[in-house]
Amino acid sequence: MIELAPHNKHSLALAAPVMAGSGAVGYADAWPPGISATMFGALVTPPVSWRPRRGHSPGRLAETPAGFILTTGDHNPGFRRVMDDHALEWRRLAVPILMALAGSTVEDWDRIAGRLEEEPGVAGLELHVTAGARPVDVANWVGVVRRATTLPLLVKLPSSQAATLAPAAVGAGADALVIGSGPLAAAVRQDGARLTGPLAGPAAFPFTLVGVAAVAELGLSVPIVAGGGICRLEDAQACFRAGAMAIQLRSLLWVDPAAAVRLVEALRG
Amino acid sequence: MIQITATLIERRSLGAGQELRLRAPALARSLTAGQAVLVQTGCGLAPYLRRVFYPIALDDESWTLRVPADGDWGHAWLRTVAIGATLDCLGSVGNGFSVPAGSRNVLCLGEDAPASVAGPGISAWALLPAIVQAASEGRAVAFALEAALARDLIPSQRLPAAVEYHTAIRPPRIPDRPASPGVGVAQFLPELLPWADVVLAAGSLAFYSELATAVRAVRYELGRGFAQILYPAAFLCGVGACQACVADLATGRHRICQRGPVLDLVDVVGEA
Repeated sequence: MIELAPHNKHSLALAAPVMAGSGAVGYADAWPPGISATMFGALVTPPVSWRPRRGHSPGRLAETPAGFILTTGDHNPGFRRVMDDHALEWRRLAVPILMALAGSTVEDWDRIAGRLEEEPGVAGLELHVTAGARPVDVANWVGVVRRATTLPLLVKLPSSQAATLAPAAVGAGADALVIGSGPLAAAVRQDGARLTGPLAGPAAFPFTLVGVAAVAELGLSVPIVAGGGICRLEDAQACFRAGAMAIQLRSLLWVDPAAAVRLVEALRG
Repeated sequence: MIQITATLIERRSLGAGQELRLRAPALARSLTAGQAVLVQTGCGLAPYLRRVFYPIALDDESWTLRVPADGDWGHAWLRTVAIGATLDCLGSVGNGFSVPAGSRNVLCLGEDAPASVAGPGISAWALLPAIVQAASEGRAVAFALEAALARDLIPSQRLPAAVEYHTAIRPPRIPDRPASPGVGVAQFLPELLPWADVVLAAGSLAFYSELATAVRAVRYELGRGFAQILYPAAFLCGVGACQACVADLATGRHRICQRGPVLDLVDVVGEA
């Protein structure tokens, strides 16, 4: 077992080192072919806000060399609807569910966190820190959530700022760090318009790896989870060697689910 | 949806574009006209995103895709793939066209539509399997197609002999400009729409908007169940997880891989 919250009374033990990253399988209701919950140590939901968010307008996807930009704008039906529709199923799944909290609505985080304290279907939270945040912001946001819940808290940091923000997150009560969301990038859509958002897919992996290594060197004594562009066994192994205890998959599950299965099986190996 | 390896067994050139016939029985048997297949292109990690294709021919053993003559690098790679090579396919995505059992007269309307803000261009070629199936079932089929250039029209020999075929050349639509009346397939609609029991359409959103206007003018109302359209969306995962394919429909913002890609025209333009 891999313990992602060693200092938390609730514990967050993963039976496998691979997690389904935020929204990779929807709310555990959108499974690519050949993919099942048993492959993963934990599942992370899409970012959830207190109220429904329509997200960004259509035209959310643009391709980059070896990757893509996807800007959903934290599109979600709102906390209450998510819980009504999915919490029962989450309780039945034999894998921990982490609820991701939308980085665009940090003002909701403590309210949602407080409601989840007694929810048996949710094993922890993943807070999404947006690019451009300052250490003092991160300390404030994580601190507010920490006071609202005792559940395990994972804090997902932008890979390019990970080393700068990680001490603040851990100091405020993060149980583990996820490194992280890709750097801000721009690409041209099929209709010629420019789309700006975090880089995803294999192109983001070098940024993930440098972020993991930089945070590991800080010696913060919390587990590190690597996420962002991991698509080969070699990528996963590089992350583990750099100091990650677990990895998250997302784009690989969407683009090549069979390759994701091979990766998971190789790691079980 | 399944992920499957398909073998390229035939290549046909048509102008600068190509048709690739892929042997993949399990996928071919599950596909219907209007359902999407996401095909991996390139070697290694680029291009990373799968290309979206709609079958232009179907049989029990194989399906055929059409690679447009554009500058897309995934399409360019597909145009060079050798016979016997294998392609990784994810499909089928969503719902396809479905002609109601009692429909005798099937009107198919197509536009060779370019890429737009909503996603990739929709080719009228996607209607071909539905046309062939409807004709083989003994239904009367009329097909009206418009394109900016004569070379983009589907050759008549690609259609079953019994299909009534109308073609029109019209300049590309300009977004946010009102349509010119009587241009393109619109010139055929006053005669064909009253005759049709069901309409199947593939084109741009502007094309569908003009279709709705024509239906209301000619038939006095646009009811649910009369017209099915193929919605132009960009797919990433195809299973509803990524939310890349969302579109603003009359009933709200929806994932096209879940609701579509074939939708009722009323879902797109509303009842009013």
